[in-house]
Amino acid sequence: MDHASPLERILRGVALTVVVVFFMFPLVWILLMSFQTNETILRSPPSLVFQPTLDNYRALLGGRLVGAGSTLQVSYVQNLMNSVILSVSSVSLALLLGVPAAYAFARFRFRGSEDIAFTLLSFRFAPPLLVLLPLALYFQQIGLANTYIGLIWVYQLIVLPLILWIVRGYFEDISPDVEYAYRLAGHSWFAAFRKIALPLAGPGIAAAGLLAFIFAWNNFVFALVLASADKQPVTVGALAFITASGIQFGQIAAAIVLSNAPTLLLALYAQRHLVEGLSLGAVKG
Amino acid sequence: MTGQALDLDRVSKIYGAGGAKPVRAVDRLDMDVRAGEIVALLGSSGCGKTSTLRMIAGFEAVSEGSIRLGGREIHRLAPAKRGVAMAFEGYSLYPPLTVRENIAFALKAEKASPAEVDRRVAEIADLLDIGPILDRYPSGLSGGQQQRASLGRALIRRAALHLLDEPMGQLEPQLRTLLRGRIKFFVKEHGLTAILVTHDQTEANALADRIAVMEGGRLQQFDTPAALRDRPANMFTGTFIGEPPMNVFPASAALSDGRLRLSLPEETALDYPQAAFAPEVREAILRRGRVTLGVRPHAVRLDPAGAPAVVLANQWLGDQTHVAARFAGGVLVTVEHERARVAEGDGVGVAFAPEDLHVFDAETGDAISHGRLLA
Amino acid sequence: MAGIDLDNVTKRFKGTAALDGVSLTVPEGETLALFGPSGSGKTVLLRVIAGVVQPDAGRVRLGGRDVTEEPPEDRGVGMAFQNFALFPHMSAFDNIAAPLTARRDAPSVLKAGVERVAKLLKIDHVLGQAPRQLSNGQKQRTALARAMAGQPKVLLLDDPLRNVDAKLRFEMRLELPRLLAREGVTAIYVTQDYREAMALGKRIAVLFEGRIAQIATPDEIYHAPATLAIAKLFGDPAINVLDVTPERDAHGPFARLSDRRAPLDPGLAHAVGRACVLGVRPEAIRFVDAEAPGAVPVTVEAETPLNEKTVTLAVTRRGRELLISRPAGAPGPATGPAHVAVDSVHALLFDRETGARIAPEPPGGAIRGAAA
Repeated sequence: MDHASPLERILRGVALTVVVVFFMFPLVWILLMSFQTNETILRSPPSLVFQPTLDNYRALLGGRLVGAGSTLQVSYVQNLMNSVILSVSSVSLALLLGVPAAYAFARFRFRGSEDIAFTLLSFRFAPPLLVLLPLALYFQQIGLANTYIGLIWVYQLIVLPLILWIVRGYFEDISPDVEYAYRLAGHSWFAAFRKIALPLAGPGIAAAGLLAFIFAWNNFVFALVLASADKQPVTVGALAFITASGIQFGQIAAAIVLSNAPTLLLALYAQRHLVEGLSLGAVKG
Repeated sequence: MTGQALDLDRVSKIYGAGGAKPVRAVDRLDMDVRAGEIVALLGSSGCGKTSTLRMIAGFEAVSEGSIRLGGREIHRLAPAKRGVAMAFEGYSLYPPLTVRENIAFALKAEKASPAEVDRRVAEIADLLDIGPILDRYPSGLSGGQQQRASLGRALIRRAALHLLDEPMGQLEPQLRTLLRGRIKFFVKEHGLTAILVTHDQTEANALADRIAVMEGGRLQQFDTPAALRDRPANMFTGTFIGEPPMNVFPASAALSDGRLRLSLPEETALDYPQAAFAPEVREAILRRGRVTLGVRPHAVRLDPAGAPAVVLANQWLGDQTHVAARFAGGVLVTVEHERARVAEGDGVGVAFAPEDLHVFDAETGDAISHGRLLA
Repeated sequence: MAGIDLDNVTKRFKGTAALDGVSLTVPEGETLALFGPSGSGKTVLLRVIAGVVQPDAGRVRLGGRDVTEEPPEDRGVGMAFQNFALFPHMSAFDNIAAPLTARRDAPSVLKAGVERVAKLLKIDHVLGQAPRQLSNGQKQRTALARAMAGQPKVLLLDDPLRNVDAKLRFEMRLELPRLLAREGVTAIYVTQDYREAMALGKRIAVLFEGRIAQIATPDEIYHAPATLAIAKLFGDPAINVLDVTPERDAHGPFARLSDRRAPLDPGLAHAVGRACVLGVRPEAIRFVDAEAPGAVPVTVEAETPLNEKTVTLAVTRRGRELLISRPAGAPGPATGPAHVAVDSVHALLFDRETGARIAPEPPGGAIRGAAA
């Protein structure tokens, strides 16, 4: 829309720049830090001129952090793998369970359907620490503590409600007549679900899956309590960089860059498809 | 208030400009609306009428050209600053407000006194038959009721221009007929200027002083309903306006023995004494040679001495009969005011009076003549 | 054997009856027009037959088979929706092919089946396009083709012409009856447009508030509507309504219109003295000279030229408004005083209280009355 006066336009440009700088600065700064040694990071005043080094990444992937006078063994690659395993599995499981459930909530009005849907959403409201302690005790007793299965199960608390509520909205936006038309053509309701509802809600399911993936990837507190070193995701693993002999800023920065890269790339890749999916048929005469 | 209210000067709307496939949804539209006039933008979906309305309202940027309202250039102003009231096709009522509050909300900006607000809401409610639902919420209303509430919210304002987007699409036919008359009366009585977007020509005919017929983003004709009916500027307007639509046939014209002969497909021919056509009309038709002939269904006469046709369908509608017949390789439709006693398969004769013939250029579709008059 | 047979179908939503004991039969191969104002239950009734709405009571039989408990996919019904309900992610071809893929037809059979209906509906040139690339008319034809592709025994059409422009609507109105006859299908056609109902239905069922008010041929509905409400719905402009109390003299029953004697059908003698409403169609009133017998003085107020006719608003001396229509082009009076003659003998008489039509008694009864 273009109804602004020149002054309004300039002010708008300035405001946008401020916002972009505000949000992009930490990311850029972290990226720059990851190519510097601790010494150059900590010099005062800070400077943008430095000799780039890949040492931080080398140390991370090699698993050996060399600090001031000591060497620390870290399992960063293992942590990264754990993050992938936990996020991918929990999102897949949540899609498998959540999409049909979302469809049921969107299409069928059964007794208590609103209450059940709301209860599921309310898991998002509860502070995680509230459920964590009892959960940790249970998990220890039934042997789920420190297992992938246990963690994936707990991750459902984060991802399932998200997927359920987003996808439900998309299903509700599809006219039931379109599905009726498919059934009247002689196809079963399950075929109508698979061939009509699923593809039409596709962009929504993708969006929900992506969002859930990011939430799962960034989760910290569940894994901190319920997983020990060999099952830890990167979010928890990065704690190891705070050592007794100092904080390894360069390596933390490199770890952050590496751990954020998958979600960032995924979002960038999916963005195009999401926007395409959402803007279909938006032009009207 | 008289004189020009709204003036569109070579207004275009281009979607995806600079992209690989820019789409001209509205193409160099010139249009003026006089103060106190009701103008209808009429066309099928995708013709550019809604884009035009949204540009006037300020919901779409104008790609090229300018829009002036009351002499003031408005196409760069924000919607709220244009002094334009709009009723949306999709109702867009505020859900947490009752119908009364929704309608009164439009008066907030005018700072009207509570008594004045009550009086005007009551007037609008009367006009639109929504008195009984004034204190209900939009979510509990039918589509037709919501649409009337939305219409009320637009009509209650004292704006320089009222824009109505398919204002009666959801109403049932009986109510629609009634409201058309009342709304026209209301608009005229209050001296409002209104632009109405519709795909329904009956609505445009009933409400508008002038109708702008659009197709493919272009203005086809902008004239009074009577002129659109009697003197369509081209084939598009000719066949678009009129219910049932105008019958059209390709023809080639020739003059022999003082008679004008129009040859149609399948050996069908229409033969007129040359005096039946004004000399300049005859001359224009003969100069083209190949033309398209148009005749309105109610101007077709069933005449045993006429050209042969075979009845395809006979549909009696109470006060009139529509008879469709195979004629000259196409379908010819006639309207009879009595109940026509012909059945499918019957042979009949059809005749057209020369003063009822509309002649179009076979290539461009532009009108050549209407009866005795040159286009 | 009946194509469609409904027995006492009832459906309530939140306590209010959308359908209240609807029973009707459509003989095989016949088209029934289902007409009524919005909210009268037309669409619900269609959906009950299709099986996407479950009735609370009553039976639905198609081709003699009770399908009340069957899911939609087993009923063998084709349906065209008012909003088209095309599958947006499939081409027109795949849309139309849906009923054939359900039967797992061979690709060649499928292609032939789609092309057959596509040709019939003149959309064979757009089969490769997605619904959003189609014009409104093409969408509507695609939806119709999809409903017909499986050659169903029963076809349900839910106001399929409502969202297309006048030209297409008219074309389809002419084309549809032949198409339906060729397919030999039993059809129900829902519409809000009385002209469509009259043009397409062999019979018309008029639905009011979930009940069938009348089911009859277009002829009967127009000339002998069961109630005043039905008479008002059939006709544009609507029928003129005048309060009268029939009287009687030596020449038979008559009504008083502006103190002129307006003769009624001799069979209406039994209505004398009752509070009635006289329904006169706009085309049954003619402008006449002041000297013509039965001429009623009026004042002409406004004239609306429509496409095929001209409608005049005139007011009688007693302030009653009359709508008078005449063929376009026929001469009419200027605004101001004029005289009209009302064809009261063929006018319809209704009971003022119940709205029910008062039918003339057959001549036999009248003769006996005269002999007594």
